[in-house]
Amino acid sequence: MDIIYVLLPVALLLGGGFLAAFAWGASKGQYDDLETPAHRIFLPDQNEGER
Amino acid sequence: MPASSADEEFRYLDDPEFVRDYAHDNGREMRFYLEGVHCAACVWLTEKLPEFVACVESLTLSLASGVAIVRLREGGSFALAARELLRLGYRPHPVKQGDSDELQKKENRRHLIQLGVAGMVAGNIMLLAVSLYAGADGKLGDLFRWGSLVLFLPVLFYSALPFYRGAWGAIRKAQVSIDIPIVFGLWMGTGASVANLLAGSSHVYFDSISTLVFLLLATRYLLKKVNQHALSESQLMHFLAPSKARRLRPGQSSYEEVRSDALREGDVIQVLPGECLAADGDVISGCGHINRALLTGEPSPERVAQGSRVNAGTWNLESPLTVRVTASGAVTRLGKILSAMEQSLSSKAPIVSHLDRVGQAFVVAVLALSVLGFLIGLRESWNEAVNRALAVAIIVCPCTFALATPLAMSLAIRRAAKQGILVKGAELIERLSHVRSVFFDKTGTLTHGELTVSSWNERVPGALLALLALESRSAHPIAQAVMRHFGGVAKEGRVPEVSDFEERPGVGVSGKVDGVLYQVRGATSGGIGQRTGTQVAVFREGVLAGELTLSDRVREDSSAAIRSLNRQHIATYMLSGDQETAAHETARILHIEPKNVIAQASPERKGEVLRAHPHSLMVGDGANDAVALAQAYASVAVQGGMEMSIRAAGAYSSRPGIVPIAKLIVIARETMSVVRRNLFFAIVYNLVGIAAALSGHLNPLFAAVLMPISALTVFLSTMAGTRRLREVR
Repeated sequence: MDIIYVLLPVALLLGGGFLAAFAWGASKGQYDDLETPAHRIFLPDQNEGER
Repeated sequence: MPASSADEEFRYLDDPEFVRDYAHDNGREMRFYLEGVHCAACVWLTEKLPEFVACVESLTLSLASGVAIVRLREGGSFALAARELLRLGYRPHPVKQGDSDELQKKENRRHLIQLGVAGMVAGNIMLLAVSLYAGADGKLGDLFRWGSLVLFLPVLFYSALPFYRGAWGAIRKAQVSIDIPIVFGLWMGTGASVANLLAGSSHVYFDSISTLVFLLLATRYLLKKVNQHALSESQLMHFLAPSKARRLRPGQSSYEEVRSDALREGDVIQVLPGECLAADGDVISGCGHINRALLTGEPSPERVAQGSRVNAGTWNLESPLTVRVTASGAVTRLGKILSAMEQSLSSKAPIVSHLDRVGQAFVVAVLALSVLGFLIGLRESWNEAVNRALAVAIIVCPCTFALATPLAMSLAIRRAAKQGILVKGAELIERLSHVRSVFFDKTGTLTHGELTVSSWNERVPGALLALLALESRSAHPIAQAVMRHFGGVAKEGRVPEVSDFEERPGVGVSGKVDGVLYQVRGATSGGIGQRTGTQVAVFREGVLAGELTLSDRVREDSSAAIRSLNRQHIATYMLSGDQETAAHETARILHIEPKNVIAQASPERKGEVLRAHPHSLMVGDGANDAVALAQAYASVAVQGGMEMSIRAAGAYSSRPGIVPIAKLIVIARETMSVVRRNLFFAIVYNLVGIAAALSGHLNPLFAAVLMPISALTVFLSTMAGTRRLREVR
């Protein structure tokens, strides 16, 4: 079971990575409005070319 | 009301000074609150604005707040964007994003990150803890235990900061707050765990306290979001005072449209009949009457002349006034009332402030009991003393006081907002749960409020023209119906001038036409004959000159709502200023008992009736009801009525009809039952827990496991209990 001395820190590092990504997204305001984006997935795609 | 041409409206949005004040990013971005946003289709439609308006780069709408961020291209015009939005069906109101909004956003993000850290740590420590529970020992056990400590540090020094801040703030003011036992328990748990760790014992509690911190943070974050979601100040203002005013161009004699907030002391504004005043000021020319019910609660119009002081939010009744501004925006009398109301929006219901006091005593008790546990345990050993003190400090849960009740109240207010009801404070929720009888105003509340003329009988020639002359001066629903019906005659220009015009709410209007006194009065049922509908009589010098009958349509959903209320054993009454026959006819359709109908009630009489019935809810609108709404135990002002009622009532329903009111009562009752259930659970749990801890039957580890479980239970119970909303059948 000695492998756990490697696995544990690696797993925690991975978790820490995700936490850092979350903290970055939150600080950029991606979690400010959780309601509207849920509705936006139903809206038709805006074609950039057409205007 | 003067018709401002479509091009005039919103012109002030492009005023450079206004843009400097309200727009961001070099005048490219501005926020607007859009009226009528309620679903995904609104998002789709409004976000398509760039396709209709070339100068708009983008529009981003937030469904929750109804606020859209409009970004312009170079040289774009906000006025153009606003006009298009109005044409799409969403009236826009520019919103100033204050510094506090930015700060609030940053604070929310910080809390979210603290919550995220606590969650990640709690989850990972739990994984290690499960291995420890399963029997990991020796070197592996040590690794996991020390690992837990290392993982715990971010929670202790970062995620728990809000609690430290709260506790320190309270201590500095020599007050007691719920944060204190939380911090106390946190550090006691940490200290005992570290001590045990160093001593080689296996009693560590990192898993429990990290989960506890996570749950507490989660609840607080949710609570804060819900509270912020409750309607914000910018929306309140729009219900009550006009956002635009007509200002005299300095040095000229023409008027320009400006935003009310942009008015400054010394500006001269013009207020036409039927308009609401946009600022406080002195009348410099014109004389007539204004309706000050919004501020004084008095429905009878007040005479004003040159030199009179007038206020924002009051209504100019019959002649144009020119006013020199003395105060505008937040410093008007109305503005001050609103900011006071802002503070009371976060005021606590009696049960919550009561709990606050209990909570404070509670905290002291916890600390005292902890010490007691320590002393009791001392009789056996130091270890036992620490264990007992720790067990007491940890097992005692302040969750109900600190979190569950405020959460339940906030959720109730949010649920009410979803029904279109703006609730001023948690106090109304508590009162609504005790309501035993509901008093409805008739016109506009139970009925559509649109009277239509059903018959006119002229007995003396000229009575019709006199009637039109008088009614054209009034804003009363009867007057509006008359003008709608006889609009053609009025346009022909044969309507004579009136002198000595007088309007008395609840009585009628009167005035002199060509020197002859005409009076328009609601007729008593005896004089004209039994006919359904509202009857109005015109008197020429005291002699009956004409009879008018008007009728009003009952709202289709009123009946169902009344039945639903009756099924919940709530008595329903009708309070109307209208005549007996009309009132009883409506009551018959709605199945309101005849003995519960009080007709021809003056504002004072309505107030009397409400005072005589404790635990009553008054639902009404119009200047007539302002007094009654203020007198009732609980009150809700209904849409379609005059905006002044909102100040006197505990809530404002923006959707027509009384069905939302019936739903509101259900919301209030369910919320209060959840609150009481939580209270009961909390008391039982704490008593049992403390007894067990003091007597040594509870070891700190077990306490540490139970604590977050109880917090979670209370939290879930609150969320689940306030989710059920039975349909009104």
